[in-house]
Amino acid sequence: MVLDLRLIGVTLKRVPVSQITTRILPWTKAAFVVMVISGVLLYYAIPLRTYHNIFFRMKVVLLILAGLNAWAFHAGPVYRRLAEWDEAPVSPRTARVAGAFSLVLWAAIIFSGRMIAYNWFDCESPTSRSVFIDKMAGCVRSDEVR
Amino acid sequence: MLLPYFQRLESSSIGQAIRDSLWLFPTIEAFHLLALAVIGGAVLLVDFRLLGLGLKRQPLAVLAHDAQPFLIGSLLIMIASGVPLFLSEAIKCYYSFAFWTKMTALALTILFTFTVRRRVTLADEARVGPFWSRAVGLTSILLWSTVGWGGRWIGFS
Repeated sequence: MVLDLRLIGVTLKRVPVSQITTRILPWTKAAFVVMVISGVLLYYAIPLRTYHNIFFRMKVVLLILAGLNAWAFHAGPVYRRLAEWDEAPVSPRTARVAGAFSLVLWAAIIFSGRMIAYNWFDCESPTSRSVFIDKMAGCVRSDEVR
Repeated sequence: MLLPYFQRLESSSIGQAIRDSLWLFPTIEAFHLLALAVIGGAVLLVDFRLLGLGLKRQPLAVLAHDAQPFLIGSLLIMIASGVPLFLSEAIKCYYSFAFWTKMTALALTILFTFTVRRRVTLADEARVGPFWSRAVGLTSILLWSTVGWGGRWIGFS
């Protein structure tokens, strides 16, 4: 997030972008590994419920999108020319867009992650759900079972 | 001693409305967590620097200055979202060890952050010295961790 905000040009404008990618991203990656391991453990505690949870599915999709976004930015031509805009307080447009995407995606990941705990749309929950939501959650509706 | 007061808070209209709603509590909670992500970044960036990690080539005062609006802004959002969450389950909180731990730690953390830590981060680095810088960074991380731990544990009681 620190990198994203720097890319957008909201904070740390006096700090070169390369300083953040080399000094902060290793911590981000390490923390990400911890989150993946603990997240997988939480998933294995209640795999079926989680698998059929619409927010879990949303979160997985968002995580993939965030990964693609980060990969596209780091592999792209703008990042390869980082030396040219490293110290510029405002980054090139592509970098700003990547930062903005990343911020929005991670906020949505936090949001959907928190919502996994609630059972509004669980297959077994008594709350009325639309056919669409049941489809997205992969629920087998009782009227389909013969 | 405080129980009647907590009972009154629980039956407040805001508390009532959040309890009656299916989605209000989770939504406010999600904003609480979004602000948590921001405050985590704003605090750790500077605390890591105090510990000699992260952006150690940048002047401490610059980092502290840039992190300040995010620290204060997210703290305000956390309090603004935390209060209604508390109101919806004030009596549960009254009996929760985690809640009292969190509130005590939070008071200490805010006090520490805006007195000692503030002076150290804005002071001339040469005057403070590495030992006290590290001590302040570590204290800040430990205090905030206690707040976070307490917050997560309120939900498990």
